[in-house]
Amino acid sequence: MKNRLKVLRAERNWSQADLADRLEVSRQSVNAIETGKYDPSLPLAFRIARVFAMPIEQIFSDEIEVSP
Amino acid sequence: MSCDSDGPPPKVKQRYIRDMAIAGAIYVALVVGAALTIRYMHPPQWALVILALLPLAPALLMLRAYVVYVNALDEFQRRVQTEAAIVAAGVIAFASFAYGFLEDWANFPRISLIWVFPALSFTFGVVHRIVRRRYK
Repeated sequence: MKNRLKVLRAERNWSQADLADRLEVSRQSVNAIETGKYDPSLPLAFRIARVFAMPIEQIFSDEIEVSP
Repeated sequence: MSCDSDGPPPKVKQRYIRDMAIAGAIYVALVVGAALTIRYMHPPQWALVILALLPLAPALLMLRAYVVYVNALDEFQRRVQTEAAIVAAGVIAFASFAYGFLEDWANFPRISLIWVFPALSFTFGVVHRIVRRRYK
C-alpha cells in the first residue's frame, strides 16, 4: 500500500517523532509506515487521517509500493 | 502513551524491567533454596518433585510480565515482537527435534531439557534484532 505520509509530514514541518507523538505510537512505527514496510491497521489509518484532517483515501492508496 | 523514543514508552519499559527483576530475584531465591534443601535435607521423592517445579512459578511471572509488556506496545512494535517470537520458537522447535534424532540415531551426547528455555531466550534476542533491522 502506498501513502503520502512523508510529504504531508514535511508540509507541516513535523519530524517523525512529532507525528509519532500525535499518533501515540513509536517513531519506529511512523518510519515503517512511511517507507511502506508496514501497513497500519484500519484504526491507526483513521487516526492518521484525523491528525492530517484529510480523508483516508487522500493519504493511502492501494497501489503496490515498488522498492527501488 | 508517550512514544518520544525509538523503543517502547518509558513507563512500559520501566514496568517490564521491574516485573522481570522481581521474578528473577524470586527465581534465584527458589533455585538456591531448593538446591540447598535437596543437598542437605535429603527430602523424600514427593518433596523432590515439588522442589523441582518451584522455579516454574517465577518463570510464569516472567511470561506474564512479557505478555503485559507486549500488550502495552503499539501495533507495529507488537508485530515485530510476534514475528521474532514465532521465528525463535520455530528455530528451537526444529533444532530440538533434529537434535533428538541425532541423540537417538547418531549417538550424540544427551543435552538436558533445562537448556531449551535459555536457548529460546537467546534465539529470540538474536531474531528480534534481525526483524527490527528488516523494518528500518
